[in-house]
Amino acid sequence: MNKPAPLVELRDLWKSYRKGSETIDAVAGIDLDLPERGMVAIVGPSGSGKSTLLHVIGAMDRPTRGSVRVAGRNLGDIPQGELTRFRREVVGFVFQTFNLIPNLTAVENVALPMEFSGVARAARASRAKALLERVDLGQRARHRPNELSGGEMQRVAIARALANEPPVVLADEPTGNLDSATGRLIYELLQAIARERTVVVVTHSEELARLADRVLHLRDGRLSNAAHDHSAREARSGA
Amino acid sequence: MGMILLGLRNLFRNKLRLMIVVLLLATPLFLLLAMQSIADAVSRQTTTLMQDVNTVLQLRARGSMGHINMIAQDRILPHSVLDKVRGIEHVVHVEPYLLAMAPITPPNFVMHVGLAPGAVKRLESHGEAGNPRIIAGRDFTPEDAGKDVAIIGQGYAAWAGIKPEDMGRATLTVDTTRTHPVIYALDRPKRTLTVIGMYASGYVFGDLQLFMPIDTFRSLYGSKEGISWIFARVDSVDNVATVAQRLRETVGDVADILVPQNAAVFTATTSRAVIRLAWIGGVLAFALMSLVVFFVLLMQVRERAREIGTLKAIGASNGAVSAQFLTEAVALTIVSGALGLLIFRLAGEAVTGRLFAMGIGPFLPAHYKPLFESLSVGSHLSGSVLLLVVLVAVAAAALGSAYGVRRLVKLSPLEAMRHE
Repeated sequence: MNKPAPLVELRDLWKSYRKGSETIDAVAGIDLDLPERGMVAIVGPSGSGKSTLLHVIGAMDRPTRGSVRVAGRNLGDIPQGELTRFRREVVGFVFQTFNLIPNLTAVENVALPMEFSGVARAARASRAKALLERVDLGQRARHRPNELSGGEMQRVAIARALANEPPVVLADEPTGNLDSATGRLIYELLQAIARERTVVVVTHSEELARLADRVLHLRDGRLSNAAHDHSAREARSGA
Repeated sequence: MGMILLGLRNLFRNKLRLMIVVLLLATPLFLLLAMQSIADAVSRQTTTLMQDVNTVLQLRARGSMGHINMIAQDRILPHSVLDKVRGIEHVVHVEPYLLAMAPITPPNFVMHVGLAPGAVKRLESHGEAGNPRIIAGRDFTPEDAGKDVAIIGQGYAAWAGIKPEDMGRATLTVDTTRTHPVIYALDRPKRTLTVIGMYASGYVFGDLQLFMPIDTFRSLYGSKEGISWIFARVDSVDNVATVAQRLRETVGDVADILVPQNAAVFTATTSRAVIRLAWIGGVLAFALMSLVVFFVLLMQVRERAREIGTLKAIGASNGAVSAQFLTEAVALTIVSGALGLLIFRLAGEAVTGRLFAMGIGPFLPAHYKPLFESLSVGSHLSGSVLLLVVLVAVAAAALGSAYGVRRLVKLSPLEAMRHE
């Protein structure tokens, strides 16, 4: 039986920036395969290229060279209009600063990506409500972002990322603006989500990274050899 | 549809922000309305002034003063001139006059004038000196044509012993045989006229005239043909020179043509300059309003680059983002326009008066200042001007917003979020 194709497949991926006369390689020749389910943590010091890698996987930014294939789509080949569709259907993004639309309520924020996908009003309202229930914010559905705590806002952002049921959720320092206890709750939520889809989390925190199924260490834009596969380890210890 | 609604809702996302933006937009809109109102009022005032400008040309027989009883009787205009003048384009009104000089207690003279009832009572040789106005009795009516009635100047009446209270009863006998040695007397029977009115001109020599219906004059002086003076009114100061030229070509061989050219040209050019000045102010205000609206909306979009990046990151198409921001810009401008208009209605009259005094007043020629001191700048504007202002403001807002949004949606979500 053939091994299933990876959901995320990066080959010789580079992302470079010009800073004055200097060229900085934020991502330098990364090869990586990620499976259909599970939580992957990318850790590394500031400036190591973690967020850049996440942005390239999520079509938030174009690679300088190399190939990015996500859910069977080669992001290097598809035109700008298709990238919008990709961001809508294939990935859900969770930002460190939540990035909720301030004048929309929690439920409206969650429903927004579905509106872009053309989901009917009633269907998106009911699904948005269900997603808020899932992140334990059913009672806060009618509140605006400025009436929510940081942890609540991040949970709304996670619910929004799941709105169109994307196969990949990308979270960029999702606990960076939260206290450690709230951060841990957010990680547990992402862990639960990772049972049904791929969740890629960028974090500074080694402690939180340990909750992931797989940890990738990034330094100077390159993956170090010290990648850990916790699921494999746990599977072995369980046996 | 959803993004349009979102755009409308965004208006009220932050009341302080809404207030600041609305005030930012309403202020130039208000200033524009004020400047348009001033330009409108100046234009109206100047048009009125131009209507009052002397556009009347005088014709009389070449080298004469037009007196039918002075030395050479043939020095009056032939009757055919009247029809020729009437036939010239831009001549809107023609008034013929007949004049005869009559002696009173030497060495004074009075002037007898025949005119159509209803024609302007003109003062011989002193046309600019005053305007006769009836101070007792009544003016001529069309029914007075051909009747032995007259209106007398108060100076002439004093000499003749006629009092204001005698109007309608007093009579004056005209004796055409009495004359000064240098003036030929006319051998005509005496005629007694009933004095129906008395006038004053504010000018001592101007008050020494006797006006009578022109047919009465003709039968009194036996002047069946000929005209002493013709006054021709031109439709506009702009056409005075043209009409004068046509008159010279048509009747210049028999008539001297007196043209109020200097005054007309001065008034026309100055009035045009004043109107232009006011409209330049209006146009500058228009440009200022458009620029302010454009840049306020552009800045408003740019400060929300992060939101645009987020919308793109969660799957909004460029069209959806543009629709949201354009709707918001148009709605914001309409709300601001309504506020600007409200302030204009409430405070427009006071503010525009001050604006006029500070902005246009100092540039007015001294000659015009007294005329414009009483300028009534109202807080009223025509519907078409309002519509134009609203359309231009909305267009500027849409352009500012569209320009800002277009630049941002072309970026990747990440670049848009990081855009400063």
